Amino acid sequence: MKKVKVQAIDLNKTFGSGNDRVVAISDFNLEVKENEFTVLVGPSGCGKSTFLYMVAGFEKPTSGKILLDGKPITKPGPDRGFVFQEFVLYPWRTVLSNVTFGLEIAGVSKKAARERAMRLIEMVGLNGFENAFPHTLSGGMKQRVGIARALAYDPEVLLMDEPFGSLDAQTRKVMQGELIRIWEKMKKTVIFVTHSVIEATYLADKIIVMTARPGRVKGVIDVDLPRPRDYTGKKYLKIREKVLGLLEEEVMKSLGKTPTRAQ
Amino acid sequence: MRITRSQMIKAFCSVLPFLIVIGLWELAVDINIVSSRLVPSPSLIALKFHRLITPKPILLDILCMSFYRLILGYALGVSVGISLGILMGVSKFLDRVFSPLLSLLISVPTLAWVPLLLVTLGPGEETVIIAIFLGSFFPIVYNTLNGIRSVSKHHIWASHIMGADKATVFFEVLLPGSLVSIITGLRLAIGYSWRALVGAEMLAAGISAGVGQMIYAAKAFNDVAAMFAGLVIIAIGGLLLDRLLMDPIERRTVEKWGLVKER
Repeated sequence: MKKVKVQAIDLNKTFGSGNDRVVAISDFNLEVKENEFTVLVGPSGCGKSTFLYMVAGFEKPTSGKILLDGKPITKPGPDRGFVFQEFVLYPWRTVLSNVTFGLEIAGVSKKAARERAMRLIEMVGLNGFENAFPHTLSGGMKQRVGIARALAYDPEVLLMDEPFGSLDAQTRKVMQGELIRIWEKMKKTVIFVTHSVIEATYLADKIIVMTARPGRVKGVIDVDLPRPRDYTGKKYLKIREKVLGLLEEEVMKSLGKTPTRAQ
Repeated sequence: MRITRSQMIKAFCSVLPFLIVIGLWELAVDINIVSSRLVPSPSLIALKFHRLITPKPILLDILCMSFYRLILGYALGVSVGISLGILMGVSKFLDRVFSPLLSLLISVPTLAWVPLLLVTLGPGEETVIIAIFLGSFFPIVYNTLNGIRSVSKHHIWASHIMGADKATVFFEVLLPGSLVSIITGLRLAIGYSWRALVGAEMLAAGISAGVGQMIYAAKAFNDVAAMFAGLVIIAIGGLLLDRLLMDPIERRTVEKWGLVKER
C-alpha cells in the first residue's frame, strides 16, 4: 500500500461575497499517493486550477484542509514545484539562471547549482540554450525550461497547471512523451490539471474527473496501462471513452444543457 | 564595427527631414518671405553659435552651469521618486497615505511652484534645483509605482514556491519586472527636468549663468538669433541626454530581455 502524499479533506473554496459570491470548490475530498501520477480533468471553471493553487499554497481554502505528508499546507514552499500554463519564466534571466533560481534561494553554491541545472537542462533536451533568454525560445522550449526550473530544487510534489495547454497539438504530443520519460527517471508525486481526456489517459496512473462548478470529485479512474502508451490501443481507448462519458455530462451541465449521451 | 548599407539608409532617412526644413527655412529668409529680424536664418544662428564659442567659450560655461543644476535636481528626483514609488508599490498603507497627495499635486505645473520657491529659497541655485526635482519627481514616482503593480501575480507566486524571502522577491522579481515602466519614468523625467530648468533659470535672477538665462537676457537686446540658438541647445541637449543616458540602459536590460522591441 502506497503512502498518501497529498490529501484534501472537506475542502471548500469560495470567491467574493454577496451577489458576486462564487463557489469554486465544495466538499472536495481527494487522496494522492506518493510517486503517483494523478491527473485532474474537468470542464472549464470547475475549480481544478484553484485546487492546484491551494496545494501550492498560493490560495487558502475557505474551509477544510489540504495535508502534505499529514501536515496542513499553509503557504508556498520548495517541497512543491509548480509548472504554469503560461510558463511564467523570468524574462530577465537566462535559461540557466531561471533553472538555478530555486537552488540560489536554497543557498546551494554557485558551482553545484550550475552543475545540477545543466543536468536538468540536458534532461529536458535544451543543451546549447542555457545562455538564451526566454523570449528567444518557442512555446515548447519555454515549457521545457518551466519543467526544469520546477524540478531543479528537487521538490517532492510537482504541480502542473495545464502545462501543455498553450502549445500546438504536435508539440503537445511530444511534450507528453517527454514528461513521462522524465517522470519515470525522477519518480515524483505529480498532480496534473488538464481538460484534455486524451492527455489525461496518456499520462495518468489515476484520473480524477471533477464535476462542473462547484467542483467535486465525480469519479476516480485507475489507468492500469503499461508505458509508453499507445494513443490508439484498445484498452487505452476504452478507458478514454469511460472518462469522456463522465466528463461529457459535466461539460453539458456547465453549459446549461441536458446530456444527450448519458443513458 | 562596419556600417552596413541599411544602417546608412536609416541614418540618412532620419537626417533628411532636418535638412529639408533647414533648407526651406534658409530659402524663406533669404528671399525675404519672412523678415530676418523676426526669424533669423539657420546660417545666422550658426554664426551666433560660432560667436558663442570663440574667442571665449561662453557657451561652454553656460552649458556647464545648466547641466550641473540639471544633474543635481534630476538625481534628487530619481532617488526620491523611485524610493517612494517602490514603497507605495509594496505597501498598501503607504499607497493610501501618499496617493491622494500626489494626485492633487501632479496637476500643478512645475513653473507655478517657482515664484513660491523664489520667496522661500531665494533667487539662487536652490530654487532652480528644487524646480527640476519637482519636474522629474512626479513621472518617476508614478511610473515606478505602476511598474511594481504591473508585475504579474504568477511571477511572484513562482518565486514564493521556490522559497524566496521578501528581499529576494523584491530584488529578483519586482525590481526587474518593473524596469520597463521605471525607464519610461526616467525618460519622461529628463524632458520635464529640462523644461523646469530653463523655466526656473529665466525666473531666478540670482544665478550666474544658464541656458534659460541666456534666452531671457537675449530678449533685452532683441537678439533673436541668440534666442533661437538657445532653443536649438535645449532641443539637442534633451535629445542627447535621452540617447546617451537612457538608450544604453534600455539596450542592456529590457531590450535584451525581449520586454520592449529593439529600435
